[in-house]
Amino acid sequence: MTWTCDQIEARLSDYLDGLLTGAEVSEFDLHVKGCAECAPLVASVKNLVGEMRSMEPVEAPPRLVYAILDQTLGPREKVTGWQAIRNFLRGLATPKFAYGAASVMATCFIVLSASGLSLRKPKLADLRPTTVYRNVDRQAHLAYARSVKYVSDLRVVYEIQSRLRQDENQLQAAPEEHSPNGTTEKKPGQGDDQTHTQPKQQNRADQLARQVELLAAECPLVLERSVR
Amino acid sequence: MRRHTRRVYNVCYRFVGNRTEAEDISQEVFLRVYRTLVSYRSAHGGFATWMTSVTRNLLIDHYRRTKRDRLTDSLDDAMPVVESKESSARRPDEQALLGELSGQVQSALTRLSPELREAVILRDLQQLEYAEIQQVLGVPEGTVKSRINRGRIELARILQQMGVRPS
Repeated sequence: MTWTCDQIEARLSDYLDGLLTGAEVSEFDLHVKGCAECAPLVASVKNLVGEMRSMEPVEAPPRLVYAILDQTLGPREKVTGWQAIRNFLRGLATPKFAYGAASVMATCFIVLSASGLSLRKPKLADLRPTTVYRNVDRQAHLAYARSVKYVSDLRVVYEIQSRLRQDENQLQAAPEEHSPNGTTEKKPGQGDDQTHTQPKQQNRADQLARQVELLAAECPLVLERSVR
Repeated sequence: MRRHTRRVYNVCYRFVGNRTEAEDISQEVFLRVYRTLVSYRSAHGGFATWMTSVTRNLLIDHYRRTKRDRLTDSLDDAMPVVESKESSARRPDEQALLGELSGQVQSALTRLSPELREAVILRDLQQLEYAEIQQVLGVPEGTVKSRINRGRIELARILQQMGVRPS
């Protein structure tokens, strides 16, 4: 059904606001394309709406805010001297400034401790650029060395743990067997005396070594991976 | 506070077209809001919507007050939609401040009837949603849409009569 000019005018805003269905939009466009009155109307209203949407808001005069405050809260009393300073400081006691102040203090503390400036016995010589540079350099190297040591310690512990875990897995894989002789092959340099007391970990390590050697006696392939 | 001041001032200025009057009405709005804050209930909609509603009511009151003071002629009765007399004889500096087309749109706005004027201001200048405008004006959504539509069309026709062609 072809739309009339009245219908176009009545639904113009819906068309501009995108509230028409697809079919309605087609009918609308069809009429407007062929109508000498509706076409300029739609174009001018469309341009006008676009223009109004892009108009900048008008700036309120600054005095308006103060006038409103005066009328609602009452005129501000003039304060001088300590009262003014106290009011100013109270205004600063907001979370925003507190965070800022705290972070500035933390930065100062870090810088001071890095620069090696002693707070107990401050010396003017500490403020010399070469001294400061030397202190900072030393701190940086110390920190680096500590972190390197920490990482390598972690690595050693990890290697030991993985080795022990490996040994346990091997032992569990193969059943424990005792040799009929009851003695192990003698390693060069090892005496017959094996009764002396040893620390617990060493006992355990030796026990593992003996068991692996037992397996090695039976299986030549295992010999390759025996634990010393 | 500044955000609300700016918004209220914009609505007032766009409605009356005069900076001094807009300032006075904005102050009245805040005074009214300050005094009746205890009666504000969130069921009335958001705070901003309530403030816009107070602004709109005061603007209509102002319009009715000043209409009695304005000279009327038979032309007004015959054409209720277009205002032949308006209070916004704009000063040249204000025109320059607004920008030419913007100033002409402002001039044309003050020639709309108040119902259409407020609908167009709230929709196209303040970019409020239909539901919000409905709450502010206290009329059904169909009426809101109809006023916005008629307002836009009339505004385009007034601009055409003024010889302005929005690009």
